[in-house]
Amino acid sequence: METKEHPSVEKRKITPDKCVITGKGDWYFPQSDIYETPDNFTILIDMPGVSTEHITIDLRDNELVINGEVSQEGYRDEKVLYNEYTIGHYHRHFVISDAINRDKIEAKMSDGVLSLILPKAEHVKPRKIEVKAE
Amino acid sequence: MGLIKWDRTGPLDSLAHIQREMGDLLGILGSAPQGERYATMEFPPIIVSVNEDSVFVRAELPGIRISDLDIQVVDDVLTIKGERKAVAPAAKSTYLRRERNYGTFARSIMLPEKVDVEKVAASYKHGVLLVTLPKASEAKPKQVVIQKA
Repeated sequence: METKEHPSVEKRKITPDKCVITGKGDWYFPQSDIYETPDNFTILIDMPGVSTEHITIDLRDNELVINGEVSQEGYRDEKVLYNEYTIGHYHRHFVISDAINRDKIEAKMSDGVLSLILPKAEHVKPRKIEVKAE
Repeated sequence: MGLIKWDRTGPLDSLAHIQREMGDLLGILGSAPQGERYATMEFPPIIVSVNEDSVFVRAELPGIRISDLDIQVVDDVLTIKGERKAVAPAAKSTYLRRERNYGTFARSIMLPEKVDVEKVAASYKHGVLLVTLPKASEAKPKQVVIQKA
């Protein structure tokens, strides 16, 4: 794979007119990748600063709602001299269809990246049809 | 005959249209409040802070291997270099959405104070790199010994 320079990442703040924000702090749209394999869909979401216990994933009707909260502990006696990013929580939601087996959704968090594996329901998996010889 | 009926519009209608377009444009440009954007954004974005004993540099680097990071301190310049590798997708996979990036990066930061190069420590937790740079003890008064000629 060729190497390229990493482009800058702009944190997109969720504006209050787009959704209702409750609680303290700012909320951001994290970047995410979605890819499909024959058996499942995988969603990768960048949430730097979020630990496993501060993440909530809810499935309500057809909506998969992901919230990641960042704790600001450890900044107590520090004075910020220069900042290029602001710290805030992350929110993202996806609408999922019946093509997903909802009981078997798996989530894993490692190094600030959440990976969600959404297995396809049996009826949408590709199936090979055998041709019978007469 | 290619005659088109002229829709009689008021002379100010086109002005209203321009006004609406400009409004949309300003809405796009001004969507982020002032002070939220940074003119020269580089990857990774950093935060530099200090307390009594140390200088702290934090960088948001989600999903990176520690072995792909190279951190150096020379005098009072901190350099963070590395590569964010793309996840090699499994066979027969198709991307439906791609927002996350990958690639190499390098940036140097002039530290606000003299630091003790020997005691610099770095940790990586939940996708955030934290470099702790203890301040140098140079500020302490130094005794000058006078030699007899």
